[in-house]
Amino acid sequence: MAQPKELLIQANENVSFAVKVAGQGEPVVYLHGAGGLAWDPFLEGLSHHYQVFAPHLPGTGRSSGLENIRDLWDLILCHYDLFDRLGLDAATVIGHSLGGMIGLELAATDQSRIKQLVAICPAGLFKEEEPVPDMFAMLPHELADLMVADSSSPAAEMLRYVPSTTEERIEATIQRMQNLQAAAKFLWPIPDKGLKHRIHRIKAPTLFIWGRQDRFMPVSYADDFCNRIPHAKLALIDQAAHLVTLEQTGQVLTAIQDFLHVTEAHQNMTGGFP
Amino acid sequence: MKFIAFHLMPYRELPADFEVTYPSVWVTPPKKLFDPKKGHRMYHDYLDELEFAVDLGFDAIGVNEHHSNAYGMMPSPNLMGSILSRKVRRSDKTSLIVLGNSLASYNPPIRVAEEMAMLDVLTGGKFIAGFPVGTSMDQNYAYGINPAELRERYYEAHDLIMKTWKSDDILTYNGKYNQFRYINPWPRPAQRPHPPVWIPGGGSVETYDFSIHHNYSFSYLSYFGHKYAKKVMGPFWDRNDELGADRNPYKAGYCQIICLSETDERAQIDYEEHVRYFFNKCLHVDRRVAEAPGYRTVKSLRAGLTSQFDGTQKSASQMLKDGMGWQDLIDHGFIVAGSPATVREIMRESLQDMRVGNVVCLFHIGSMPHWLVQKNMQMFAEEVMPQLRSLFSEWDHSHYWPKGYAEDAKQEAATSG
Repeated sequence: MAQPKELLIQANENVSFAVKVAGQGEPVVYLHGAGGLAWDPFLEGLSHHYQVFAPHLPGTGRSSGLENIRDLWDLILCHYDLFDRLGLDAATVIGHSLGGMIGLELAATDQSRIKQLVAICPAGLFKEEEPVPDMFAMLPHELADLMVADSSSPAAEMLRYVPSTTEERIEATIQRMQNLQAAAKFLWPIPDKGLKHRIHRIKAPTLFIWGRQDRFMPVSYADDFCNRIPHAKLALIDQAAHLVTLEQTGQVLTAIQDFLHVTEAHQNMTGGFP
Repeated sequence: MKFIAFHLMPYRELPADFEVTYPSVWVTPPKKLFDPKKGHRMYHDYLDELEFAVDLGFDAIGVNEHHSNAYGMMPSPNLMGSILSRKVRRSDKTSLIVLGNSLASYNPPIRVAEEMAMLDVLTGGKFIAGFPVGTSMDQNYAYGINPAELRERYYEAHDLIMKTWKSDDILTYNGKYNQFRYINPWPRPAQRPHPPVWIPGGGSVETYDFSIHHNYSFSYLSYFGHKYAKKVMGPFWDRNDELGADRNPYKAGYCQIICLSETDERAQIDYEEHVRYFFNKCLHVDRRVAEAPGYRTVKSLRAGLTSQFDGTQKSASQMLKDGMGWQDLIDHGFIVAGSPATVREIMRESLQDMRVGNVVCLFHIGSMPHWLVQKNMQMFAEEVMPQLRSLFSEWDHSHYWPKGYAEDAKQEAATSG
């Protein structure tokens, strides 16, 4: 697997992003989930068809400035700043989980900046009658098992991997905690930061992708999201849970390509909005 | 040497199988286990015990704050403090310590400035203000405070409260988390400019520096006793020296479980059951809610992980899990137990060794009945405290302890104007 290059981009005076970049073609911004950003087979596959920009969330990897981001509003604005620095007037955004929530917020806030949106089992809504599990009150192996449909799969093995040397183990644990800390800043204690009041503003063509066996963000949430964005499409993927991009990489890539291809053609014909 | 009679106010009738059947004493202990009739009795026994400590001449009585916790039934220590202030005001020896109000929890934080000023006035200027960051269980899980914001909120609340106390003017404040056009809390504290401040902490460098920089008294409040406390107090004094501060023992305190009886053997008979209740049930905390991501700084996290992963330091909780007998608990310093002579000897040595001038004594442990707590406190006050009293008497404690009004000054304040 080819390693992407990493750019360090000062988005504004408060925040800088480390952005992994690879591939050729139409630019696509990928926003990772609460587990952090790793260059995995899904992103590798995506980079075979698109130019992928994958920023680390501030406070994770080499991205910095989490302490300067006061709230979700700051987080959204610094993403637009990042788009400016990357030369993306309007970007196609693919986001997973927390990254899906950020993508939805971006699309709802400034409609002109998001061209097409793919939200993969995104966070952002919360139902008291069917609460999402508290990922911040779980032991690492419990969280890993919850994320996958098959706990004996290679994806699950990868999640459970513990480095052998003490030093590597310490660094891996610290990295894990930093990823969770950054995620918690925007998801604690309940991942409802008001998206439901803004989501109706989303005009970009939107595709939701969901693992049918997702027990972290159950499929009933997919229905909720789709009901709030009438023009959205939903791709349900079998034999996959929350980490659908790792469990059914090929199917997810195909669904994304089909959607981006069709909506791109449609936008060209209609001059923009669906 | 200063002695504080401190109370956690535990629920002392948890079921025998509590630690097997339920995952945690904190955050998730089922409320159905709380019987208000029993709770009524417990609260009043505990208040009686602290009032008794005033009669016995302890330097202070102390309460603290926990939430969703079956071993610490004081979600609002200020409520208990206000009841106790009625007794403290009549005493010429005993002050009231609230250790404390976890500042980030209070919205607005000037609520703390107001209530603590009330307590200072009620006690007649014999009040110590404790400002802990608070545990992750209390602050993040039970109270929902974002772990990424907890420390910033704490520091901002601290600055706001101190600014409020130090000024007689109406202030404005434009902070990150707090904005006020008018800060003018009534009453102002009895002590000028403010009551002594103590910082309870777990031993992170950030807390050492914060305490030393402000010249507050730092207290290490674990339940693992003097040998673990020494591992924290050693680096505290090193850091204190690095920063060029004086070595006044009254800027340091630690917490100790104490079990006194007529003989060493009798102490085991009297207390073992209750000590076991404490370590087995009261410290039964679910790892899932022990620490939210971001609660500790990366620096503190790295230090903790290093000793955990390379096996250089066995944690106290791991030692407990591995099983400790009565004598192990004594040998490792978790408890100081035995006859007055035994307790005197261990405490004299450890207090001198650690150089702490304030000891936060836990006389009520776990499931202890009222009569046994009274016996414990009385024996300590009569047979241990007097002999240890002169430790560190060459040092001036007055910056870290309340001065209090004399009775006539109180009278004058009440009748003048």
